[in-house]
Amino acid sequence: MKKSLYREFYKFGHKKLTWFAPLLLLVFMILISDYPSNRLLAMMTYDSPDAIMIILVIVGSTMFSMEFQNNAILTLLYKSPRTLSVYLDKFITIFIYNLILHGLAIIFTFALAATINPVSWFAAYQYHQPLIVNMFLATGVDILTTTLIISVVFLISTLINSNAVVVTVGLAVMFFGEAISSDLTRGSSALTSLAKWNPFNMTMLTHQYVNYAGYYDTTLLSNAQLATGALAYILVFFACGYLIFRKKRF
Amino acid sequence: MLKVSHINTFINRKKIIKDVSFQVNSGSIVGLIGPNGAGKTTIMKTILGLTKFTGNISVEDKTVTENNHAALTRVGALIEHPAIYPFLTGLENLKLYSLDEADMNNIVSMLKMDAYINTKSKGYSMGMKQKLGIAIALLNKPQLVILDEPMNGLDIEATILIRKIIKQYAAQGSAFLISSHVLGELQKVMTNVLLITEGKIIVDEPIDEFNRVSRQQYHLLTEDMPTTEKLFAENQIPVTKSDDYLVIPRKLSDQVQELLYSHHIRLVELSPQGLNFEQTVVSLLQQQRRQSHEK
Repeated sequence: MKKSLYREFYKFGHKKLTWFAPLLLLVFMILISDYPSNRLLAMMTYDSPDAIMIILVIVGSTMFSMEFQNNAILTLLYKSPRTLSVYLDKFITIFIYNLILHGLAIIFTFALAATINPVSWFAAYQYHQPLIVNMFLATGVDILTTTLIISVVFLISTLINSNAVVVTVGLAVMFFGEAISSDLTRGSSALTSLAKWNPFNMTMLTHQYVNYAGYYDTTLLSNAQLATGALAYILVFFACGYLIFRKKRF
Repeated sequence: MLKVSHINTFINRKKIIKDVSFQVNSGSIVGLIGPNGAGKTTIMKTILGLTKFTGNISVEDKTVTENNHAALTRVGALIEHPAIYPFLTGLENLKLYSLDEADMNNIVSMLKMDAYINTKSKGYSMGMKQKLGIAIALLNKPQLVILDEPMNGLDIEATILIRKIIKQYAAQGSAFLISSHVLGELQKVMTNVLLITEGKIIVDEPIDEFNRVSRQQYHLLTEDMPTTEKLFAENQIPVTKSDDYLVIPRKLSDQVQELLYSHHIRLVELSPQGLNFEQTVVSLLQQQRRQSHEK
């Protein structure tokens, strides 16, 4: 397990995109920092959640496809003690990368707030909490949302070997999830109570956390319910992805 | 070392490998040969726990299952294509799997890869990639090495070098299971023959025994070959064709002569022949195909 996890980090650390993505994140945040509504932007770490999600969809989709494209999946499988460890190691690797990206987003936020767009970090903002607490909690919530997206990307990766298709489907879930979920929850009242638990709804967790009034009418779920749903779907998608990967013939 | 007992492998619910059993002992080089689609690669994948199977596979008495590869810690393999990440250098590709840097550097020198091992592997030729794939399989002093078509894309110098290295590792106790379509190459290194067709092992014996038996063939020519063939088929005498002759097993030569005599077919020639390795393999495969067809 330790050795196979090391292999994943080794490969991940040697890919250019791994190191290039944080620079893209910084450029994206600088561009966004120019908009008004300083406190909301600071709480949202200058809209980094959207940029991080795009990065994770692209990077995550290559984690399995590189094994298929380089004929490395057979070697990877027999060199790993268990099939589960191949899947789990990749998940752990990108999850840690997710944490690093969020950590960098916080550092970049402090830097931008100190230079381009000053804010008062300790003044109360949302949920009767200081802005700095809002920002840290929003980041924590976004880690949950992005982990949900990773589990979706991994599930799709086990079904489809093509990197491009996985990226497209992943981005589609990200960008059209809100519209699809909105359509589903606007149905008849009998179905609405069930439809509001659809997985697309859970992808709006971060947005609802920073803008509750703007999103509650769409999701029809509280923040806690969205968080619970997201966690449940992460487990479901992870389990389904692993079972498909286990049954897959190489 | 490697014990394969009564394995059946299924792909899309179709039985590909049928009740196969064999052993590979320390220091032996077993040549797994057979026609395309016979199941050579599937057997190799099954040993590595990469396909669904029934039966038992063990390496050093540790059982391999489809989802538990703990028994394969000292097994090296090259299956189908070398597993190489193009964004890594050759050395970085080796480092991914290496547990002993000195051993890794030794393999690099042995395979004469020093000149390009520190360059990105995306620029490697087919032969360079193949050598790197073999190097990965040889890492960490493996007890068992499984090589699927190892000579693919290699030039003559590299082929000779790999042959020498395989013999060297076998002399140190490593066991090898090698499949190749280049029978001549395989013949130069293997100590045992495993001939497979239609998912079944039809020959499993030391190469010396195989060569001895392969010489026990007779070439037969009669005045009426069509009737002779028909007669043999009716009497279930296994024969194969070689140019204008029929090839029969030596042990059946008396029975054949009696049969021809009783049917008044004049014998023109019945002479002992030494088939070469390739001819013997082809002859055995033809016999097996005919027997399957008759069933």
